[in-house]
Amino acid sequence: MRLPSFELYITTRTVFALIIINKAGGLIYNRTFHDGGLNKISTNDYLVLAGTFHGVHAITARLNPLQPRTTTNRASLSSTTTGAGAGDLVRPEPPSGLEVLETENFRMQCFTTLTGIKFLLFADTTQANVDLTMRRVYDLYTDYVMKNPFYQLEMPVRCDMFDRRLGSYIREINNR
Amino acid sequence: MVVYSFYIFDRHTECIYSKSWLPPAHDPTGAPNSVTAARPSSSDDAKLIFGTVFSLRNMVRKLGGDDDAFVSYRTAQYKLHFYETASNLRLVMLTDTATLSMRNVLHQIYINLWVEYVVKNPLSPVEHKGGAGVRNELFELGLDQFIRGLM
Repeated sequence: MRLPSFELYITTRTVFALIIINKAGGLIYNRTFHDGGLNKISTNDYLVLAGTFHGVHAITARLNPLQPRTTTNRASLSSTTTGAGAGDLVRPEPPSGLEVLETENFRMQCFTTLTGIKFLLFADTTQANVDLTMRRVYDLYTDYVMKNPFYQLEMPVRCDMFDRRLGSYIREINNR
Repeated sequence: MVVYSFYIFDRHTECIYSKSWLPPAHDPTGAPNSVTAARPSSSDDAKLIFGTVFSLRNMVRKLGGDDDAFVSYRTAQYKLHFYETASNLRLVMLTDTATLSMRNVLHQIYINLWVEYVVKNPLSPVEHKGGAGVRNELFELGLDQFIRGLM
């Protein structure tokens, strides 16, 4: 009974959904591109999910088993301030939180901007080049949301142009 | 491939086994050890890992349906692999980022080590409160050999 849909699932590589979370963990954008990839959940559940993910993301950044966090920070600070200027300060890469989550049915890519906004892209496990798609989605965001004079930072994204451009871009990928 | 650490959580959400293959914290600058002590203990780590894994598992189930299973996640520094058995025993492994899926490895650990040396051990209790019954010689030795064989 489930076989036909399963076949379709394998042959079509699809992007299922996009979620944007602001730096406080609030959901500011949520859109589904393909029915059947993910379960339908209510907007309220999406809000809970965004908040939960925000917290988990912070924890995953702290769980780094290689632990350069307190010691090297302090050590490099004391050794470099004596010699070179503060501009040459060698800082270790800041720990990054969760970047890719894999499950049996889908793969989630998380991109955190320098300002702390998270883009979550849900795609099929076989979908290739999600990095590139994410990059393009971010471009669209900067072009049509950040440059929209009526958009208020940290508030839900309601920009017609962004919706349309994003829709056509993802449709192009899903129909490829 | 490098394995950093391995954890087992029972159905009561308690961490009943943890092992780390990391070299002892080394300090390139030779700073006193009191600075390194600032890092949370391994039991705190285990709690954080359980919380993360539990939240992500629930999130995945909500989005992907009840038959979906959380497999792994990756950050820029490490990768976490997760395997849950039908009896809600949860096995978690932290490795470097280049490692491919370790789901079958965790499954092997469950079948060949957990079932053989812990479940089939007549002296082992049913509930492993505080890790009782898990820390036996055969299991520890088998696990260490198995992981070192992978690396």
